[in-house]
Amino acid sequence: MEKLDRRTTLKLMGMGATLLAAGPRVFAQQTPTADQLVKGKNPKLLVLSQRPVVLETPYEILASEPERTSKENLYVRNNVDLPGYTTVEGASLEGWKIEVGGLVDKPFTLEAKELLALPQSEVTMVLQCSGNGRSLYTPRTSGNPWQRGGVGNVTFRGVRLKTLLESKGVKLTEKALFITAHASRQGGATQFVRSVPIQALENALLALSMNGEPLPAVHGGPVRLVFPGFFGVNNVKWVEKIEFTEAENTTAEQMPRYRVPVIPNTHLPFLPQQPGARYPYNFTNSRPNWLVNVNSFIFAPLEGQTVEGPYVRVEGVAFNDGIVPLVSVEVSANGGRTWQRAELATQEKTFGWVRWRATLLLRSGEHEVMARAWDAAGRSQPLDGNLAWNERGYEYNGVMRVRFTVA
Amino acid sequence: MKKTLYLSLAGLLGVLGYLALGQATLPEGPGKELVLAKCQSCHEIGFVARERLSRDRWDGVIEEMELRGLKLTQEERAAILDYLATYLGLTPPPEIPPAPVAQTPKTGAQVYAACSGCHGPQGDGNPPNFPPLKGHVEALLKAQGGREYLALAVLFGLGGKITVLGQTYENLMPGFAWLSDEEIALVLNHLASWGAPEGFTPYTPEEIRALRAKALTPEKVLEARKALNLP
Repeated sequence: MEKLDRRTTLKLMGMGATLLAAGPRVFAQQTPTADQLVKGKNPKLLVLSQRPVVLETPYEILASEPERTSKENLYVRNNVDLPGYTTVEGASLEGWKIEVGGLVDKPFTLEAKELLALPQSEVTMVLQCSGNGRSLYTPRTSGNPWQRGGVGNVTFRGVRLKTLLESKGVKLTEKALFITAHASRQGGATQFVRSVPIQALENALLALSMNGEPLPAVHGGPVRLVFPGFFGVNNVKWVEKIEFTEAENTTAEQMPRYRVPVIPNTHLPFLPQQPGARYPYNFTNSRPNWLVNVNSFIFAPLEGQTVEGPYVRVEGVAFNDGIVPLVSVEVSANGGRTWQRAELATQEKTFGWVRWRATLLLRSGEHEVMARAWDAAGRSQPLDGNLAWNERGYEYNGVMRVRFTVA
Repeated sequence: MKKTLYLSLAGLLGVLGYLALGQATLPEGPGKELVLAKCQSCHEIGFVARERLSRDRWDGVIEEMELRGLKLTQEERAAILDYLATYLGLTPPPEIPPAPVAQTPKTGAQVYAACSGCHGPQGDGNPPNFPPLKGHVEALLKAQGGREYLALAVLFGLGGKITVLGQTYENLMPGFAWLSDEEIALVLNHLASWGAPEGFTPYTPEEIRALRAKALTPEKVLEARKALNLP
């Protein structure tokens, strides 16, 4: 130690600093920025994977758009990249065909541009990856390490699947219990298939635009089959085939991926697991990540901020599957001993997120605030989100806690 | 006192630098090349490198990948599971990997295991996702500037649309900067063994070291390709 003079120490530090500085530059080719991977994305999005493309919206950016998430900032979770569809610009409808078949009386193939001539509908909905919040599970679960930025609130516009079927005079047969959608395989893309229950037909939309602009190619343009109230994975991008089926499809995307353990035909939302253990997933002892579970996010104050007191405005958004309205969001500043009701922007049921705000009286110093949403069916969020631990880390909706300082 | 502070700061910066470099790469150990070859055909290696799972859960992950189309022989599966459970497990990996063969010099064919997942064991490619190397590399080496471009593409990757032997490709090729200068020279010479112009001089580690300093992005490599009007 004595032999180490100041100059040597500085040299050592210099070496460390050079390595640190050189790291991101020399290795830039291994971690391209979001805008290099997807043209038009905010370069600040976090690259969770380059291939397939997975981009997370940093939380402060998510919170900066409490009404609607812009196409530049919306997260991306591709399971399969469609070659050439890596931009927030729209994609051409020209030549795009969609096959509709399975358990219907008259199967047909549609030129996607025919959709432009049919009545258009609009829906504002939460688009959320079912792995959102995964990194909050312990021990670590496998998959993309999402914080809370795998979510957005967007407005889709297009033709309701029901409207399309009616316009063609097509009827479903009795055994049509699921809607199975296939993504395009053009350019050699591997298959991507998801099934949702037939009840999803009620609100299903063949989306052609998002937030008033052509549907970005990276988000499924020119046509994406969206199911409001369902987790992101079910909203099949670049849809080329829609089948009505008697059972869920049997690809890995439907089983064992994107499922959580359950006791069949009970109202228990998930069967708690021993964290770290494996589970023998099959079609009856587990259910798919379908309906979005109740969740609430605190958008202000942000973690680590210093705010003026003693009256502190706490605000954020909350959502559920849109089947019943949200009835309350409660806020607690004392670890859940007492809760104060926040004011909700709407009491109507909606597939979009609902803004909420509360004013808390807080003394100077450090605080931790929690927020919890309830819906009209009595569904809420666990105080300990880890209760839902499952090996692939799906459907985290534990109560969010934010620490900040009141000046 | 002050010295201790400097020393710990120096150490900290060194460690941070190391972590920044090490993020998306796999730890050394027997089976690493096989993991790289098999997993990278469908997704980047970061998906694997960032996980820390028990042997049982790694077994589950491999099972899931097999359902999604991964083809493995029993031996390959066992080797991959051993590697993952040992080097990306819940407990820190052994200090020195038990690899008696590590002393023998590597061959280009061994390094090529990192490429074969996408480009095929014989360099035939996998159109329309991954272009062939056999034939195309020879054409590149014959062209003006092709020799340097080929090395840059291996070092830094390639992003964007290219046309190879009449077929269009749009996949992103990751860079392989984590390979040493020697390894990259070896693998390039391995590619040249499938066909090279008359009087081809083998790549040297020194040549790779000089090119590495360019620190390009996959997009810049594509620009270089376009500027040179390469086949």
